[in-house]
Amino acid sequence: MWLLKGVNVLNWFRNIKSNWNTWTILSILFIVIILLPSLSIILQFAAETNENWLHIKEYMLNTYIVNSVILVLFVGLFTAIIGSSLAWIISAYDFPLRGFFQWGLILPLAIPPYIGAYTYHGILNYTGVIQTTLRNQWDITVNQQYFNIMNMPGAIFIFVIFLFPYVFTITKAFLARQSTALIENARILGTSSWRIYYRTVLPIARASIVAGVSLVILEVLNDYGVVKYYGIQTFTTAIFQTWFGLGDLDSAIKLSGTLMLLILGLLVLERVLRGRKRFSFTTTKVRLLQPVKLQGKRKWLAFGYCMFVFGIAFIIPFIQLIYWAMLTYDQSFSVEFLQVIGNTIGVAFVAAAIITIMAVVISNVSRLNRGLFSKVFPKVTILGYSIPGAVIAVGVVSLFIGLDKQIYEWGFTSSYILSTSIVMLIFAYIVRYLAVAYNSVESGFERIGTQFTDASRILGNNVTKSFFKVDIKLIRGAIFGGFILAFIDILKELPLTLILRPFNFETLATNAFNYATNEMIHEAALPSILIICISAISIYAFHHVLERE
Amino acid sequence: MFVNIKDLSFKYPNATTHCLESFNLTIQKGDITTILGESGSGKSSLLRLVAGLEMPEKGSISVDDQLMAGPSTFVQPEKRGIGMVFQDYALFPHLKVEDNITFGLHKWTRKEKKQRLNEVIELVNLKGYEKRYPYELSGGQQQRVALARALAPKPKLLLFDEPFSNLDADLQLKIREELRRILKATGVTSIFVTHDQDDAQALADQIVVLRDGKIIDLGTPRDIFGTDCDFSDRIAVKPRVLSKV
Ligand SMILES: Nc1ncnc2c1ncn2[C@@H]1O[C@H](COP(=O)(O)OP(=O)(O)OP(=O)(O)O)[C@@H](O)[C@H]1O
Ligand SMILES: [Mg+2]
Repeated sequence: MWLLKGVNVLNWFRNIKSNWNTWTILSILFIVIILLPSLSIILQFAAETNENWLHIKEYMLNTYIVNSVILVLFVGLFTAIIGSSLAWIISAYDFPLRGFFQWGLILPLAIPPYIGAYTYHGILNYTGVIQTTLRNQWDITVNQQYFNIMNMPGAIFIFVIFLFPYVFTITKAFLARQSTALIENARILGTSSWRIYYRTVLPIARASIVAGVSLVILEVLNDYGVVKYYGIQTFTTAIFQTWFGLGDLDSAIKLSGTLMLLILGLLVLERVLRGRKRFSFTTTKVRLLQPVKLQGKRKWLAFGYCMFVFGIAFIIPFIQLIYWAMLTYDQSFSVEFLQVIGNTIGVAFVAAAIITIMAVVISNVSRLNRGLFSKVFPKVTILGYSIPGAVIAVGVVSLFIGLDKQIYEWGFTSSYILSTSIVMLIFAYIVRYLAVAYNSVESGFERIGTQFTDASRILGNNVTKSFFKVDIKLIRGAIFGGFILAFIDILKELPLTLILRPFNFETLATNAFNYATNEMIHEAALPSILIICISAISIYAFHHVLERE
Repeated sequence: MFVNIKDLSFKYPNATTHCLESFNLTIQKGDITTILGESGSGKSSLLRLVAGLEMPEKGSISVDDQLMAGPSTFVQPEKRGIGMVFQDYALFPHLKVEDNITFGLHKWTRKEKKQRLNEVIELVNLKGYEKRYPYELSGGQQQRVALARALAPKPKLLLFDEPFSNLDADLQLKIREELRRILKATGVTSIFVTHDQDDAQALADQIVVLRDGKIIDLGTPRDIFGTDCDFSDRIAVKPRVLSKV
């Protein structure tokens, strides 16, 4: 008996020894780093309560929860309807400009909701283009109430029009590849389009719609800009308020912990709703759904619907911003502004590069090892993306202040250096956006499998050499795609940047938001336009790279 | 014995049953051994264990008196000096034929590489195709590049995982004979995995019949298939049936 045990122990040592290389050590290190801020919140969540927290819990918490739930429910419902119906129309029918709408309807994602929020406020308010035109041309003065967008329905509207592309893209990809047989069958049976949509499409695409909607919901809960601007009390505004208004980090941590619990519940719910269906291709031969050419009135109906959504979600705000930018061009364009551009691109580039390298290391380890690594690693990287920026910020700050205290006590420094530097902001970006690059890199690795690595190793190259001589060459596109996605997300990021940036450090996002909150909407246009253009170009490039692969 | 596999057991982490159990096999230097078995019988897994791509749960593998895997030993695949031809060849798509073939020649001078390239290209009959990319070759040609790539570093032992399964019947017949010629010419010891008993019969010095991870028969082709090739029922499944699963 003891002999058998001896053999097992020997095996165990052998396994550890032969898996224990630089890659593994690095990726474990990375994972721990990603986990630290959340751990810091969880540990302090249970700490003793202070008066502020008791007050918040008694009088405010309910409002935060109710507001967040209302937002999540309605935004989720409407994005599901709009996103999936557009996806269905575009995949199943051919009509004017269909090719353009395929990627054009993704473009609203290039407009961060907070920019959309103040743009629409600017369009609709008393001095905005609509009311001015009505007054000057027809001498009509409207009831301000009908044109006030700064309320709950307004916020829902903003989130829906700028976030529905998440549902649209995921559902469209699913419909184009997976559903051909079912939909063709329904067509042959002569089922009407409407019935096909809600009897066939909705049920089979359920998993992808739920996946898209859950991304939307995570974005809504992450948002600070829209709700702050429209004056809606949610968790993120509350975290900002207790932290900066009351200077109470402990209560901010408690709020963050509560929000994390809420999100955990949502993720469990997503699992249940999505059911056992995953997105994997069950049949190897992927047959693309052939769109049916629409005629007459139906043709224009489909076109009109797409055009209407595209107009509201992209063209109108975009044109308005360009107009404002031209009005204020000479004032807002300055040396300082160039500095802001430099800051934004610099910090996004550095963070995205680090993120991409980490994503490559972690996903390479999780693909080459079986068991624990391959199961746990992907989950942990997703964690950061599920946690709202404000919460990550709280975690990161409490972590860095703790570190700084240590370093200070050891006598290395005479002041807090980490928590006042750009390192903290980049660290937070990494925690939040690792998942974005990770997904892209992982799908690249999945496509090539492990056979090339196996072949290379048998021919005498170790894991590292194989990676540089073979793997990296075969997944260049996926690595680049991951970098670009992380880069755009960081470029647009608001709450993390607002909280964690060093003194006097401005990015395009904070620049635009500060102008807007100071009622200088016109001046906010130039940085906004830049963010939108860079994002739009990347989306276009990415879409076309994906199409080719 | 040149290859010595003792009491080998293996199981994939997420599987409930063992993929190989108490497997024993010895192979003489210079021999061609074929492993014959149905789909899912554990043939590929056996090769991956020998190559070092999987780690045994129990037992030991040694090649040329060097212990490759044992209770406290595990030699990484890149250190084993074993060659392998994969089921779908796994030619590097971003490299030309010549770079694929010389991929495993580390620490060779440029001149030595060139010379070795010419030797193996000659051996597998691929002169004139050096500058092409794998996707510009036919299935049979790709298969020969894979063989050349595996042979080039002069491995101690060569493993084949159903290298013919993607070729049509005519080509299989031709290549099978050519392969035996090449292997015998180089004198390399090899293990050849197949589910086609014609392959096994034509190529092998020794045949191992595998089912559910256990050896159910072992011997020369003559032992297994009978003197007059009347497919005696020494194996539980009729060979003919076996050949087409
Ligand atoms: N990665 C894996 N994880 C879990 N089980 C596996 C894995 N690969 C193979 N198996 C299982 O191990 C058993 C042996 O598989 P193996 O690939 O060795 O069979 P094979 O004889 O090569 O079959 P084939 O002729 O189809 O290639 C099968 O039951 C298979 O389902
Ligand atoms: Mg196999």
